[in-house]
Amino acid sequence: MTLTLYHIPDWASSIIRLALEELGQPYQIKPMDWDAGDFDAPAFRLVNPLGLIPALGTPDGPIFETAAIILWLNARYEGLAPGLQEPERAAFLSWLMFVSNTVHPTVMAMIHPDRPAGPAAADQMARMALDSLNEQAAHLETLITTRAPRWLTTAQPALGHYLGILLRWAACLPQDPALRFSLAPFPALHAVLAAQEQSPAACRVAQTDDLGPTPFTSPGISE
Amino acid sequence: MYKLHYAPDNASLIIRFVLDGAGIPYRTVLVDRTCRQQDSPSYRALNPTGLIPTLETSHGPISETGAILLWLADTHGLGPAPASPERPGFLKWLFFLSNSAHADLRQIFYPRQYCPAEALVAHQEIMSARMLQHFALLEVAAETLPVLFAPARPLGVYAVVLTRWAALYPVEAPRWFNLADFPALAALAGAQEARVETPVIARTEGLGPHPFTAPEHPNPPEGSVL
Repeated sequence: MTLTLYHIPDWASSIIRLALEELGQPYQIKPMDWDAGDFDAPAFRLVNPLGLIPALGTPDGPIFETAAIILWLNARYEGLAPGLQEPERAAFLSWLMFVSNTVHPTVMAMIHPDRPAGPAAADQMARMALDSLNEQAAHLETLITTRAPRWLTTAQPALGHYLGILLRWAACLPQDPALRFSLAPFPALHAVLAAQEQSPAACRVAQTDDLGPTPFTSPGISE
Repeated sequence: MYKLHYAPDNASLIIRFVLDGAGIPYRTVLVDRTCRQQDSPSYRALNPTGLIPTLETSHGPISETGAILLWLADTHGLGPAPASPERPGFLKWLFFLSNSAHADLRQIFYPRQYCPAEALVAHQEIMSARMLQHFALLEVAAETLPVLFAPARPLGVYAVVLTRWAALYPVEAPRWFNLADFPALAALAGAQEARVETPVIARTEGLGPHPFTAPEHPNPPEGSVL
C-alpha cells in the first residue's frame, strides 16, 4: 500500500517519519514549502482542511493530526504502541492524549508566544508556557520513575519520539536562552529520550531530516 | 462496572452522554470541586494532572476525555473499527476536537492560567476568533460525516457539548458564539436534546430544560462546576 507523508524536516511530520522508519514500511515523501504557499493550496486543503502537517495519504484517504496518525499506523502494522487488546492501552491513550492536547500546545506557545494574545504579551506568555511545560515534564518524570511504562521505551517507541521532537523544539527554538526548556531536572525522562534517539530508525531520520547526532537530549539546531 | 469521576457540567458530561446513549452501565463518583477534591492524593493517584473526568475500568484508570472516548469506542463498538476505511476520519476529528477545539476553549474559559492580566482582552479576542474557525471546520465535518458526528456517539457528543460551553463562557466576556451560525451543529444540538437520556442527565447535573439549543448556567443539585 502506498503511504504519502506531507513533510518538512523537523516539523511535526518528522514524528510520523520516525514512526514509519520504525515500522520499516515503504512511504513517499511529498515535500511541502511554506513560502511557496503549499499549505493554502486547494489540493492540500482537500488532504487536510486545517492546512497543517503532518498529513498522511493512505488507501483509506488522508489522515491528519500527529497522534491520530500514530494510532492508525499502530493498528495497521503494530509495534509502535500498545495494541487494542493490551491492558496497558488504557494508560497509554491517557498519556498520548495529554501529550497531544497539553504538551504539544504548550511547546507551540513557547515557540510562538505572540500568537495567543499579541506581541505585547509575548515575553510573559513564553514564561508562563515554560512554567507549564516544567510541570508537565514533572508529571512525565513521575510516571517513568513509578511505572516505567513499556510504551515509553524503544520496544514501543511512538510516544517517546513524539515527546522527543516536542522537547527538542522547546530546548532550542525560543530565542531567549532563559526561556528554553532543559531536561536536566528530569533524569528519567532524559534517559528514555537518550535511549530512543539512538535507535536505528531514529538515527536514519536524524540523517534525512538533519536533526543532529542527539536530536532529543541535546538538539543541535543551527542558530 | 465502570466508575466515572465527575463534576457537574465538566468534561465528564461528554462521557456521561456517550455512556448513557449506548446504555453502558456505570457508577458515578462526585469530585467535589468546592473543597478541591481534584487535588486530593486519592484523586491524583488516579489522574496525576487532577483533571476531570477519570474513568476507572478493569484495565485501570483512564484520564483525558478524548482517550476515554476512544477507549469506549473500541471496547463497545461506538466508532469505526481499526481496519475500517472510516477510521482515519474518526481519529483525526477526535484528536482535533481534543487538542485544538477543547484545548483552545479551555484557554478561553481559564485565561489566567495561560496569559498575564494585562493581555486578557487581546487573548479573549484572538482566541475566540481562532475558536470560531475551529467551529467552522467542525460544521463542515459534521455536515459531511453525519454518521461519525451522530448524536450520542463520541464525536457528535463531544462537538455538541463544546457548543454548549462556548455559548455560556467565559461569564465575564461578551458573548462571542452563536449556534445559529453553524446549522449542522445546531441540528446536531437539537437531535442530541431530543434523545431520551438528555433530560435525565440535564436534571442530574442541573443543566436546564434545553442544555444545547438554549443553554443556561448550570444549577447542579450536588457538587460544583468550578
